[in-house]
Amino acid sequence: MAEEFEEEYEDEIDLASLSDEELVLQMHDDLYDGLREEIVEATNILLSRKWSATRVLDEALVEGMRIVGIDFRDGILFVPEVLLSANAMKGGMEILRPLLAETGAPPIGKMVIGTVKGDIHDIGKNLVSMMMEGAGFEVIDIGINNSVEDYVAALEEHKPDILGMSALLTTTMPYMKVVIDALKEKEMRDNYIVLVGGAPLNEEFSQAIGADAYCRDAAVSVETAKSYMQNQMGAASRI
Amino acid sequence: MAEELKETNNPRRRRSGGRSVRQEIRKSKSEVSAPYIKRNVPVYNILDEEGLELIEKNADTILEEIGIEFRGDEEALQLWKEAGAELSGERVRFPKNLCRSIIRKSAPREYTQHARNPQKNVVIGGNNTVLVPGYGSPFIRNLDEGRRYGTLKDFQNFVKLTYLSSSLHHSGGTLCEPVDLPVNKRHFDMVYSHIKYSDKPFMGSVTAPERAQDTVDMAKVVFGDDFVENHCVITSLINANSPMVFDSMMLGAAKVYARHNQACIISPFILSGAMSPVTVAGTSAQILAEVLAGVAFTQLIRPGAPVIFGTFASSISMKTGAPTFGSPEPALVTLVTAELARRLGIPYRSGGGLCSSKISDAQAAYESANTLQTAMLAGVNFMLHTAGWLEGGLAMGYEKFILDADQAGMIQKFLAGIDLSENGQAMEALREVGPGQHFLGCSHTQANFESAFYMSKVSDNNSYEQWKEEGSQDATQRANKIWKKMLEEYEMPAFDPAKDEALKEFIEKRKASFPDSNI
Repeated sequence: MAEEFEEEYEDEIDLASLSDEELVLQMHDDLYDGLREEIVEATNILLSRKWSATRVLDEALVEGMRIVGIDFRDGILFVPEVLLSANAMKGGMEILRPLLAETGAPPIGKMVIGTVKGDIHDIGKNLVSMMMEGAGFEVIDIGINNSVEDYVAALEEHKPDILGMSALLTTTMPYMKVVIDALKEKEMRDNYIVLVGGAPLNEEFSQAIGADAYCRDAAVSVETAKSYMQNQMGAASRI
Repeated sequence: MAEELKETNNPRRRRSGGRSVRQEIRKSKSEVSAPYIKRNVPVYNILDEEGLELIEKNADTILEEIGIEFRGDEEALQLWKEAGAELSGERVRFPKNLCRSIIRKSAPREYTQHARNPQKNVVIGGNNTVLVPGYGSPFIRNLDEGRRYGTLKDFQNFVKLTYLSSSLHHSGGTLCEPVDLPVNKRHFDMVYSHIKYSDKPFMGSVTAPERAQDTVDMAKVVFGDDFVENHCVITSLINANSPMVFDSMMLGAAKVYARHNQACIISPFILSGAMSPVTVAGTSAQILAEVLAGVAFTQLIRPGAPVIFGTFASSISMKTGAPTFGSPEPALVTLVTAELARRLGIPYRSGGGLCSSKISDAQAAYESANTLQTAMLAGVNFMLHTAGWLEGGLAMGYEKFILDADQAGMIQKFLAGIDLSENGQAMEALREVGPGQHFLGCSHTQANFESAFYMSKVSDNNSYEQWKEEGSQDATQRANKIWKKMLEEYEMPAFDPAKDEALKEFIEKRKASFPDSNI
């Protein structure tokens, strides 16, 4: 069945020969199909046609990943496929990020993420990282078994918008509170959106330890991060 | 970590048409399936040679010493007399090895039942398993209406649901009893519904010889006279009236089918304690004796006619007399009789998603899982009652049907066994990923993820929060949505309009030729 459909599709498309409109639609398809090299090429083509980095980001990449997100939510796309899409998106973002910084365009967002001290489980956290990157976020992954000092050092170095913490064990999840309490003590807490996740958590726990939100899965993490960023920017623009 | 993924962006990855094409593929996927299961997992043999010989010896003794009654059928008695059996009234006593030698001479080890769509032909027997929906319930149950008598509309709904269920290989027979139709004519509509609304193989009417004949005649309209006489296109359920009795109704239908080379499932219907002794060994010997007599009888009618060793064994509550399901003793009977059937060398029928629960609750789930798993391990070739069965067969459940069909899909995957090919060994994946990383992005996973794991259509494995957001539904509620959607989206398989006309004409003529009756 899959073969029949695939045969109908010409693999060799000369991206440069497409009109802007066709190229953007092709990029949506190529993001969907998880084709990193093609996305990198198409991003460069649009930039060479004097598109602004912001416009490439919004109309081609973010819109393409929005479609991927919908089909992932609806159970049409599988996790390994979304990882490929996210990876393709990341390819495009690597080109755009320095340009966006130059123009001073508001970034999608930056996140420091890590598993807390005593916990070495990171597959869920890695999925969140990839999905966040897929949505255009810049993600600094500080790995597993992170102490308060590790988190603070990373926050000071990278100055992210969001801090993400994960834990798989009931015995390690209380350490999230230790980190948040330490941030409060250093008067750093309010500088970051704090998102927490992991199988034994729930919303109640996240409230109790003073996090901003509990994210039950990778897709929800992206949605939550986006909405917090939007609120923050909305607030900033009103100042 | 995304850097690793970069490398997996290998040459195999290519444009596949983006969203529109993927959606199309994923939606159409469910209907691509094998027409029946070719088992690649060993059967579970529960008794050793000594134990089996003991039961076979006891069955021989039953046949020789006690005998079997063939009631109300002169022809049957005459045939047995000619074959060398000893008659006293309607009681037939069989010299040692008479039945077994008749069977071994001509009964096929396996046979093909042809469907009107040849791609859906099934091979019954040997290493193959054919999963078949529930049979015989007077009531239906669904979440919206509760329990009520079945109608032709329900019958047709279950034909359609079975047609749409890739894990069910056969359209079955009396999916529910359409009690809105006169008893002596409902078989026309039932057989017609199987033919018209599905293209899978089906079962015939057995409630009277002339109804069996009507079934054969309708099959001849579809398949052609010669084809039917030379190929099996109907498999039908002939119950022994246990203990140790075959009645004229069942014998009459069996004769019609066997004479036209159509398959019979000779099934002792046993509720141990009432219709057989309370022990596994005693029940198994009785079943074997009844099957030997019934199967041999079909070979006297027409040597070589396909025939199945059937077993429907359950127990009863000794407190109330009510039948029980999913309990351990009948599971043992299933395993023993499966072995006896293999030794006899003919296909075996048993199992199904049996339960005595009234609704599709936890009791229904565990009892059904017990019987399905046992039948799967036993090596059942023809598994009647795979989907829909509730309250000891009194009700066919719409939601239960969906839940069972999902289980049937799991059985199919399990029986495919273990892939030991290079791809199955996955050494490439292990090398690529290495310690401490994950396998979600590696090339091997990318190439295999879609079919790697059985994906249940009913089970909810999302997070608690998502489940709650989606209305905190239990499995029955989810199944309710699924069957409704299936019926909504059902499309009839193509059917030759000339044959359809001829069938309708046949039915109309036959229905007009005698008055409606409910006896």
